[in-house]
Amino acid sequence: MVAFRSTDASGRTTGLLFRCVLYSLLALGLIIVDKRYDHLGKIRRLLSVVAYPVQVAVASPFEGWNWFRDSVTTRDVLRADKTKLEAELRVAQFRLQRYEALEAETQRLRALRDNTADVTERFVVGDVMSVDLDAFRERVLVDKGAGDGIYVGQAVLDSGGVFGQVARVGQLTSEVILVSDAAHAIPVQINRNGLRTIAVGTGETNRLKLPYLPTSADVLAGDLLVTSGLGGVFPAGYPVGTIAEVKRDPAQSLADVDVKPAAALDRSKELLFVWLKPQAAELLPPPKPAPVPKK
Amino acid sequence: MMRETRIRRLPVALSALVALALAVLPLPEVVDAFRPDFLVLVVFYWCIESPRAGGLSLAFFSGLALDVIHGVVLGQHALALTLMGAWATHLRLRIRVFSVLSQCLTIFALLTGYQFILFWVDGATGNPVTTFSRWLAPFIGALLWPLLSNVLSKVHER
Repeated sequence: MVAFRSTDASGRTTGLLFRCVLYSLLALGLIIVDKRYDHLGKIRRLLSVVAYPVQVAVASPFEGWNWFRDSVTTRDVLRADKTKLEAELRVAQFRLQRYEALEAETQRLRALRDNTADVTERFVVGDVMSVDLDAFRERVLVDKGAGDGIYVGQAVLDSGGVFGQVARVGQLTSEVILVSDAAHAIPVQINRNGLRTIAVGTGETNRLKLPYLPTSADVLAGDLLVTSGLGGVFPAGYPVGTIAEVKRDPAQSLADVDVKPAAALDRSKELLFVWLKPQAAELLPPPKPAPVPKK
Repeated sequence: MMRETRIRRLPVALSALVALALAVLPLPEVVDAFRPDFLVLVVFYWCIESPRAGGLSLAFFSGLALDVIHGVVLGQHALALTLMGAWATHLRLRIRVFSVLSQCLTIFALLTGYQFILFWVDGATGNPVTTFSRWLAPFIGALLWPLLSNVLSKVHER
């Protein structure tokens, strides 16, 4: 204790130990309150506004460079892009021709089963900011926050498929946890046969896994995985990924299945935040109270 | 006297801001795991060279800034940086007369302690990160120390 008290050049005694204990207790208190209770949401939101200038300052040179590169592209590049986009549009429109009919048919079939899946109500597009959050977690920062109505747990898609969900909301920004984060799991369904399971992130950007399928499960490399809509976070029917590899070890009871995510998790710049219209809850009759057994 | 302390704070604040920006600078994923904790090194430097300019308040609030920017549980980096900053302040008179190699080794020990507290809080709050690569940052940080302390001492003297 005495050794820890030291005098600096001017001869003033600094209560180093005292301040160390004080700040450590403060930090520990913050950890406990932040973990156990939900009171720090507002404080964190304010702090994220303070951090915003730093993040913008770091991101802006990259945005500037992208803008510069976009504005000096040559005519040939633009023409090539245009041809490519037109070709893609042709294919997309061809596929879309049958979409309306299919959707109507789906609605009819769902009505027959007295069951309507969640329907996407509206969406907002957000840009991924060029900022690294944490090297060991799969998260990105997006430039839409509580001010735009973003909420925690909201589903996030990109043009390829399911991207992740909102983990934390600031006033101006929000953090999205990717489907590939080791702490993320998403209810999915194999499109070919409707087999339901859960896809869990691995911490590697281009790999998910299906850890809960038995070795005998009907799953093949190349199968498309779509969201099952169970759990109520993600809308049903969006692509999550394709099965990359199935390893079946007869000695194990569970198969080892690798999935390649459909979304461009490491490249997407524009993300879609989705609002769901929960129809199923409105249509279902309220649950009857269980009869109380009389003695 | 008042004037003097005010002048000495500017380089501290500036270097901390630059280090904070370096902490979020986007890097390719392969390089990302090797990113040294710039802000931690800067805080250590001020704790060692001029504890009255920043001291533990600088350590605590820099840690808080890292918590917000990394989006982890509030107080994690603040706790680690406070404890290790206090240790660096305690050792400062010795570290100043060390050879470069001994300085690097001491900084390596401090950074490892810092990383260990982060690791421990991660585990205690239920988000363990068990990849081995997180223990690379202290190594890189210690290698970077001679360069960084040289640059900062130029800033400091000016």
